[in-house]
Amino acid sequence: MPEIIKVRPTKIELIRLKRRLSMAQRVQKIVKDRLSILTMEFLETARDTVEAKRKLVDELSKLYKAISIAGGYHGYIAMEKELIATEADLKVTAGLRNIAGVRIPSFELIGNLPAEAWQAGGKPMRGYNLLDTSSWLDRAAQLSEECLKAIVELAELQRSFELLAKEINRTKRISNALEYTVIPGLQVTINYLNMKFEERDREEKARLKRVKVLVARG
Amino acid sequence: MFKSLQDEARQSPYEKVLQECLRGELRVVNAGLPRSQKRLSDLLTEQYPHVICNDGGAHVFKKSELEYLASMIDIDEQEALPLPMLIELGANQAEAAIICEGKIEEKVISKALNMSVTCEQRRIRIYRPQLALLRRKFKTTTVYVFSPKIVA
Repeated sequence: MPEIIKVRPTKIELIRLKRRLSMAQRVQKIVKDRLSILTMEFLETARDTVEAKRKLVDELSKLYKAISIAGGYHGYIAMEKELIATEADLKVTAGLRNIAGVRIPSFELIGNLPAEAWQAGGKPMRGYNLLDTSSWLDRAAQLSEECLKAIVELAELQRSFELLAKEINRTKRISNALEYTVIPGLQVTINYLNMKFEERDREEKARLKRVKVLVARG
Repeated sequence: MFKSLQDEARQSPYEKVLQECLRGELRVVNAGLPRSQKRLSDLLTEQYPHVICNDGGAHVFKKSELEYLASMIDIDEQEALPLPMLIELGANQAEAAIICEGKIEEKVISKALNMSVTCEQRRIRIYRPQLALLRRKFKTTTVYVFSPKIVA
């Protein structure tokens, strides 16, 4: 039950309360709109996160299988020796984007292989000797690149998911405060003041009638 | 001006808090608006494609998304497409409007949503489910605008 705000029962206060109510309703409109957008984005992100996690797990299981096959074929020591030459720095573009006031990180993996490392046929030269290695190693290398992409994508989605959830909580609290405390409180007080004024009017009318009778008698 | 000062003086602390809250919310939700839009062709040539936002921060575009957009339209159209596209949220909660300059946005949105859309009074009107679909495809190339009209 909303509480009546303690104000002096005057017309000026009633006008002020009405102004406050209209302001509170405007704030509520924005907050609600923002909440609906954030919720939509949150659901979308949640869906994408689940999908990205599933994809990553699939890719990783495929990668482990491919690495074990390649390791079994070449021997782990020989494979490690070949792979030392392939080490490259990971390049990720990191930035921010804004969704309804929430700053969300945005990551994008840039191809870590230099342009000249690509052959005419479109297949990348990964740095290891193609003569001494098999297609199993190619497959493992290709899968590991896909895994990296999936990890970066998941990192972005996971962080967005957390940030959006926090902001939804905060916005919901504001929205609930407005909906269940501020606005009903103002409405109840306005009603109370209106009733008080009506009561005063009735009293005034009764008094006037009484005075009229008294004047007529006198 | 005198009248506005009088109004200001008459405001109670409670009203001021509400007014600040309204201003704050509008400021927060529109902080991510770009100061100016850039053309797709310009963004494609940048190493780190971005625009500067109202709050001074940078809004970074994903290259993959830009390339996807570029694949949808011709080269001369790329020079005319301003990015990020602005999605205006109006008084009607079930609808959103994409602010557009010409036919190119219409073409892009039509292709992305796989349905025909029309531009009326520089706005392409879409429904919320379509908005979700659009945002899924263009996460960094679209930005929400909370129009002051919705609070009027």
